[in-house]
Amino acid sequence: MSERAFYIDYSRCIGCQSCVQACAECDTHRGVSLIHLETIQRRESVQTAPQVCMHCEDPICARVCPADAIKKTPDGVVQSSLKPRCIGCSNCVLACPFGVPRYQVEIDQMMKCDYCYDRTSVDKKPMCATVCPSGALTFATAEEIQRSRRGIAINSWKFGNEVVKTKVFVIVPREVERVNVELVQISPTPSALSDDPYDVALMLESVE
Amino acid sequence: MDGLKPINLSPRGSDTAHSLAWGLIAAAALIVGIVVGSRGLKDFDPALISYAGATVFSAFGLGYRYAMWLRRPPTRLYWFRGWQIFLIPKRLPGNIARLVRIFWNNVVLQRFIERRSKTRWTAHWFLAWGCLIAAAVTFPLSFGWIRFETAADNQQIYRAFVFGIHVASFPLDSIMAPLAFNILDICAVMVLIGVFVAMWRRGRDRGAMSVQQFSNDLLPLVLLFAISVTGLFLTASTHLMRGLYYVFLSQLHAVTVIFTLLYLPFGKFFHIFQRPAQLGIDFYKRAGEEGGQAQCIRCGQPFATQLQIGDLKAVQSALCIQYAMRDGTHYQDVCPACRRKNLALTQDALWRTPEAELQRFDRF
Amino acid sequence: MAKLPVDVPELVKQFGPTLNRVPAGGWVGSEEQDRMVKTHCCFCGQQCGIQLRVRNNKVVGWEPWEDFPFNLGKLCPKGVKRYMQDEHPDRLKHPLQRVAGKGFEPISWDAALSRVVSEIQRIQKTYGNDAFAVLTGASLTNEKAYLLGKFARVALRTANIDYNGRLCMVSAGAASKKVFGIDRSANPWSDLPKAKVILAAGANIAECAPITTDYLWQARENGGKLIILDPRLTPIARNADLYIPVRSGGDIGVFNGMLHIMIERGWIDRDFIAQHTTGFEQVAEAVKKYTPEYSARIAGVPAEMIVRAAEMWGPAPTSFLLHSRGIEHHSKGVDNCIAAINLVVASGRIGREGCGYAMITGQGNGQGAREQGQKCDQLPGARDIENPEHRKYIAGVWGVPEESIPGKGLSAVPLMEAIHDGKIKGLLSICFNPTVSLPDANYVRAALEKLEFYVNIEFFLSETAQYADVVLAGSLMEEDEGTTTSVEGRVIHHRKVVSPPGEAREDWKIVCDIARRLGHGDKFNYSSPHDIFEELRVASKGGVSDYYGITWEAIDNNYGMFWPCPEIGHPGTPRLYEGGKFGHPDGKAHFLPIEWRPSAEMPDDEYPIILTTGRVVSQFLSGTQTRRIGGLMDQYPQPLCEMHPRLAEKVGVKDGDFVKVESRRGSVVVHAQVVKTIRPDTVFIPYHWPLDRSANNLTIRAIDPVSNIPEFKICAVRVSKTEQPTDPIAKLEVQAGGIR
Ligand code: SF4
Ligand code: SF4
Ligand code: SF4
Repeated sequence: MSERAFYIDYSRCIGCQSCVQACAECDTHRGVSLIHLETIQRRESVQTAPQVCMHCEDPICARVCPADAIKKTPDGVVQSSLKPRCIGCSNCVLACPFGVPRYQVEIDQMMKCDYCYDRTSVDKKPMCATVCPSGALTFATAEEIQRSRRGIAINSWKFGNEVVKTKVFVIVPREVERVNVELVQISPTPSALSDDPYDVALMLESVE
Repeated sequence: MDGLKPINLSPRGSDTAHSLAWGLIAAAALIVGIVVGSRGLKDFDPALISYAGATVFSAFGLGYRYAMWLRRPPTRLYWFRGWQIFLIPKRLPGNIARLVRIFWNNVVLQRFIERRSKTRWTAHWFLAWGCLIAAAVTFPLSFGWIRFETAADNQQIYRAFVFGIHVASFPLDSIMAPLAFNILDICAVMVLIGVFVAMWRRGRDRGAMSVQQFSNDLLPLVLLFAISVTGLFLTASTHLMRGLYYVFLSQLHAVTVIFTLLYLPFGKFFHIFQRPAQLGIDFYKRAGEEGGQAQCIRCGQPFATQLQIGDLKAVQSALCIQYAMRDGTHYQDVCPACRRKNLALTQDALWRTPEAELQRFDRF
Repeated sequence: MAKLPVDVPELVKQFGPTLNRVPAGGWVGSEEQDRMVKTHCCFCGQQCGIQLRVRNNKVVGWEPWEDFPFNLGKLCPKGVKRYMQDEHPDRLKHPLQRVAGKGFEPISWDAALSRVVSEIQRIQKTYGNDAFAVLTGASLTNEKAYLLGKFARVALRTANIDYNGRLCMVSAGAASKKVFGIDRSANPWSDLPKAKVILAAGANIAECAPITTDYLWQARENGGKLIILDPRLTPIARNADLYIPVRSGGDIGVFNGMLHIMIERGWIDRDFIAQHTTGFEQVAEAVKKYTPEYSARIAGVPAEMIVRAAEMWGPAPTSFLLHSRGIEHHSKGVDNCIAAINLVVASGRIGREGCGYAMITGQGNGQGAREQGQKCDQLPGARDIENPEHRKYIAGVWGVPEESIPGKGLSAVPLMEAIHDGKIKGLLSICFNPTVSLPDANYVRAALEKLEFYVNIEFFLSETAQYADVVLAGSLMEEDEGTTTSVEGRVIHHRKVVSPPGEAREDWKIVCDIARRLGHGDKFNYSSPHDIFEELRVASKGGVSDYYGITWEAIDNNYGMFWPCPEIGHPGTPRLYEGGKFGHPDGKAHFLPIEWRPSAEMPDDEYPIILTTGRVVSQFLSGTQTRRIGGLMDQYPQPLCEMHPRLAEKVGVKDGDFVKVESRRGSVVVHAQVVKTIRPDTVFIPYHWPLDRSANNLTIRAIDPVSNIPEFKICAVRVSKTEQPTDPIAKLEVQAGGIR
């Protein structure tokens, strides 16, 4: 396995769905797209949210799996459910803090992003992170990231009191050490300015 | 589903001791079964002792592993919930009827595998039924539970005994006879078909190739192949080559079988024992549907059954997963889609500090 | 007799569009490919590198081409699913002829070509040479573009050839030529991340040039600021440092207003202006009246936004201007571009690292296809067809008398009008789907019906090809070889990946065959696209877009070559105008004063809403290819009419309702998408769909006087709630123009 790692910068995403289309092209699960792309709330904004598996160090999906069907490779990649074991209960789908596993109705089993294992295990980039036109998903060395981004890459998250460490990194402003997840709606507005940051009519208001 | 008793997900005692005990119980039960079933070893064929011995060890392993597995909180939960729901008196008759149906589809026909891929299903069906039928014949034989003999008064009549009780007779020229004598060969051929289809699939599917591991995915096929081939050679040796290499071949066959028996509780074959749990999930899901739906606290949409969310929270606390949020809400009450949206919003907001925001959407 | 032989649903039944969802050879299957071919995506002007996997002469998949420096393996969804156009059930595999009442039936190549040639000869003999016209496309290779220009002038001797780049790059090109003397983006994209401020006007980059996104975000990582002008808050605008929701057609307000402030505050480079430009005084004079307040009224945005833009752009150490169709698709498209470019020239920030200007080409070969002589007013090498010197040179290359080369012909829209008026009787078209892509689609359909003979070279039966008398089965990009010139001015190599299926043939062979049968075989004696390129190099020699030093070998060795490249061994010219040397004979940049003027049709009481049209990321132009690819159709299956909640409330429409959008020219019924990310006075509909879903039923046939680009970006409409339509067209699949 290379020293390259997977980096997400959600704020860069333009919702183009290249990742969604390319995911189905990876041979580990060709024909099935497993990455998630959410349009957060189209009425309010054009913002979109891509999500790959973060490949947790101690994956909650695996811990809540009754069938012991989710395994990590020695290099830290959390795989799709083992087909002979998975009994399709969806515990992983509901418990994963990142909302990653998918319950595939047709096969009554879970499938999830598996880091394009056929590619990454031979030092190729994963499909989504190769094609992503915005660099929201990137597969690069730490050094390349340091050189090209103003933020830093971290891999520590907190959901409630649960601290989760992941193989995949997220890019955040330099002062942030851990992403503390609280529930937020479309307008996070740390500023006092706009409750509705993307309403064009409000932006134009002062002309009328 | 109301009224289901909570399940203790953190049972007392050491997992290992507990599981060892179950392993020993399983092994002991089998030994008792062998002794009783073979009428105090009267029907026991000493030539098959090594097979029986390996099976006893296997029983220990399976008991141990199964008990260990049931100590895991999520497994434990589904195990006991499954039975609780199954055994609700009002539902029992319906449940049994349903069980028969799922059993037919999932175990006999294995339809759920067909939906994953036709080749996978073909391979699995041949492998599974080849093995299961063979096991149904050989285990009782090696335990001395069944035996065959020619009738004392007529060389042309064969008699079958189960637990020492005469259950059937058939003439040698009936259709039953060659079937009974060659059943294992038929099984071996089925298994070989399965092995070849499985290997072909693995060789064609780049995805399968990239994630497969020798010990988990290939070794079982190799073992089944070895058992079948050595078994077929034995038949060939007897009928076609006048016993050539018979002793060597039978020892080789025994080695492959015994190795497989020892591997059974720990390798991929354990799924044969885990898999039926899927039947329980079916009952669980149906019971959940009848109860209420859990609504996401972020978007308000239903996203799972209340039963499962409640149970999952219990499992999480047994596993020390602390999803309770500062504001008193619980992260488990957020639907997966909202989690994803929320993550992107959270990270995006980190960049939108008041200062940056002022510059960006300054409304002058 | 160019009428539909049978009704549309019947044609759709026979020829699609249907959706291809599964690649040749199925999803799973790991037999190694026989070959992996490095080539380029065909679905926009960025021309991303990609490798196609081939097995048994079938494209079965792809791999990223991570070495190619422009996109480094990145692709938009169209690039990812592009290979699904191969082995497509709708693919035309033999020549077809129209049979009234039946549809189309296969005929032999010999019969088809004889018919074409005799009809050309009949029409030209009866009505004159110019009565037979040629319409071509900007997604063709340089070789085909060159060939078709020569074909029209040498084999047909018609003045009337034009191309669908007329709907794309001509305003930008004309403006660039007027100010700088050269029609090409001035900088390679590698300059973008080095700019401290980037102004992108009318450019929905995330959807129409997705790969450019990373360059913009990279600039922001380096501390650069981003200013976006767009009536819609696009994904790029969401992260802009300044987003100006300009009213469609009001851009000049922003540009002139910015220049006004820059002059006032001394944020212009006086030395540069003195040494390297002409005409500044007139411009300074012209923008005097563009005070922030006056400008704001034109632009329809708060004056402070314009001031802010000037404050960001004016004093910046480095800067980059990007513009595309949003400011170009106007009856004042050229003026819009010039007003924007004036900001670049006044700042003196051009021709250096991190400083410059680019127009974002839309079509596959948007840049190259306009240089090789298939425009009605151009000869190869971006030469002028009216210039005697230029004519003489090309006549020499072609071996024809200069006077045999016709003069300037009609551009696309007037050409369609001439067809409508019965002045043009015959048409050969390739790579152009005007029933979907030209404005005022009802008019276009009516025009096509008046043709006496129409032959179309196509790989799928497009909505326009349905009107043809003869359809010649041509080739997809990957079925032929050639070069294109990308958005950066980089000439690149499309390798032949597979051969055309069935009896379909490479386009260039078809064209050469027609020329041969017309008696001009000696002038079209090529044995490969490479032969054509060799002639093209010579024809472009000494012209503005000089390819003379570019060989296929050099392209392959250097990941493409930038023109001008005047001699063999020349490294090419990635960045133009270094040292302030511009393309005009005087070596200077020419400022031109620009006055704002209203658009051809402004909203009024009857039609009170502005309609603007554009693209979505999953579709390419008129959709002939991308409406046949399942994955892409799933992404955005049918056109939606975006409108602000305030407008929606006013017209009584809720999200998802069926709405009827009407203009003076026609109407469409589509679903409403109620979003806050658009100006409340404007609605937006993407144009990739045909028939009753075609936004171009509404658009206006007004063109820019200089570039002749149609005014796609603004016309007046009204919107009302309606019921789900149930006519036969509405019942078609969405890719064919139905609605769900
Ligand atoms: S992100 Fe979710 S699916 Fe991936 S390893 Fe972590 S818990 Fe499992
Ligand atoms: S490819 Fe990148 S930019 Fe496009 S949707 Fe996926 S993550 Fe977002
Ligand atoms: S359409 Fe354009 S951006 Fe998308 S892959 Fe093709 S060339 Fe690249």
